[in-house]
Amino acid sequence: MSYDDVEIEDMEWNDELQSYTYPCPCGDLFQITKEELKIGEEIARCPSCSLYITVIYNLEDFLGDSKKPVEPSKQQPVAVA
Amino acid sequence: MEETERIKSREEEEEEIWSWGAGTEGQLGTGELQDEHKPQLIHSLSSFGPISHISCGGAHVIALTPGGRVLTWGRGTSGQLGHGEMVNCLHPKSVEYLEGIFITHASAGWNHSGFVSDTGYVFTCGDGSFGQLGHEDYISRCSPAQVLHFKARHVEQIACGMRHSLVLLKGDTEDLIYGFGSGKRGQLGISDDKLKSVSTPQVTLGFENVKIRSVTANGDHSAAISMNGHLYIWGRSFHGAPDVYTPRRVTADLLFSQVALGWNHALVLTGDGEVYMLGRYNYNVPTGAQKANGMNHISEDEGVLQRVLDFNSTKVVQIGAGAEHSAVVTDDGSVMTWGWGEHGQLGLGDTNDQTGPRAVSLRNEPSRKPCVGRVYCGSGFTFVIRTYTVKSSF
Repeated sequence: MSYDDVEIEDMEWNDELQSYTYPCPCGDLFQITKEELKIGEEIARCPSCSLYITVIYNLEDFLGDSKKPVEPSKQQPVAVA
Repeated sequence: MEETERIKSREEEEEEIWSWGAGTEGQLGTGELQDEHKPQLIHSLSSFGPISHISCGGAHVIALTPGGRVLTWGRGTSGQLGHGEMVNCLHPKSVEYLEGIFITHASAGWNHSGFVSDTGYVFTCGDGSFGQLGHEDYISRCSPAQVLHFKARHVEQIACGMRHSLVLLKGDTEDLIYGFGSGKRGQLGISDDKLKSVSTPQVTLGFENVKIRSVTANGDHSAAISMNGHLYIWGRSFHGAPDVYTPRRVTADLLFSQVALGWNHALVLTGDGEVYMLGRYNYNVPTGAQKANGMNHISEDEGVLQRVLDFNSTKVVQIGAGAEHSAVVTDDGSVMTWGWGEHGQLGLGDTNDQTGPRAVSLRNEPSRKPCVGRVYCGSGFTFVIRTYTVKSSF
């Protein structure tokens, strides 16, 4: 059973993981790559547990190399001491 | 007579700290990067003296000493530990930036942290990408920075959720709650309309002439308990109903003293030591199965407010909620847990889920009687502080 349905705009792009991520209740992150989204995959999995979420997105937004996919609202954190 | 005077007993307090559950970010304070299914006695805090308060976040922990000192450990990759760098820390470490400031209250969110001083100043650090640090920007910080919006005010409490924060200000005639960060699910309670993120603190609506005892945040949920025992909830709904954009009082003929929020459930404690639950029992347990497992519906709205039973006829004195698990302390000092158990967060020695409260086995020496126990839940892990009165004769 899918833990939750999450819109792609609520996921965060993680440069290090090269994935869109969303918090998992275990403390880790649900993850899905652009490549997975391109082939129509809609399940984002957590590497630490059995849970997964269903990602809500428009497949067309991820097709084609020249077309820029919708970036989620967030960038990588900027460190300020 | 002389004899009895000579061997009169002296009472001393001793504290034990236990942790269990998800541990791969170092959040258990064991010095290991692994899950623990059984309670682990933590020694890494003993050099700092007694601990008066703990707050557990997504994968990090904040501990306060009675002297107002702040220790943090666990995941630090967003700066949430406040150590001036964005790295994990396996062992409790003092937050140097806050040394010299007496911190009386702290809250750990998913990836951010908030601290309140005895003088009413509030500091935040960690992930700021949704505005949840309240610094009028979307920047993450790895050292605590004072939230200047409240510089001339006396802040009492801060509560940090997944992507939002609440601040409680005490006033002479009425109290004020402010919200900042992600407001997409209504968790800021600042507008009837749907809004995304707010980095400037805004007043939460609906608390005119209400004196507030406490504010709580977790996941996309927010809650407050008033001085007269009323429970208010706002944010993401618990049972598939529409999200609640402004605080709504939970109507029940009960007086509430504490509330603990998970990601899909809330626990509330009444003044009589009874526990009620809002929302789904466990992510994979259908609602229909709950009644047979120690749950009694008391509300007319089916599944809205349910009494949790099976505490071995004891009263509950304190409650805690992780993302998908629950924990309570009863008046005989026992700790009981239930909910999702895949990472051992129930501390029952396995990874099974539990649909009703089960007693956690913490080592008990017959000569030592636990007098105070407190439980604190992070997303997938649990901490317990136990204070013993040790009678020693001299």
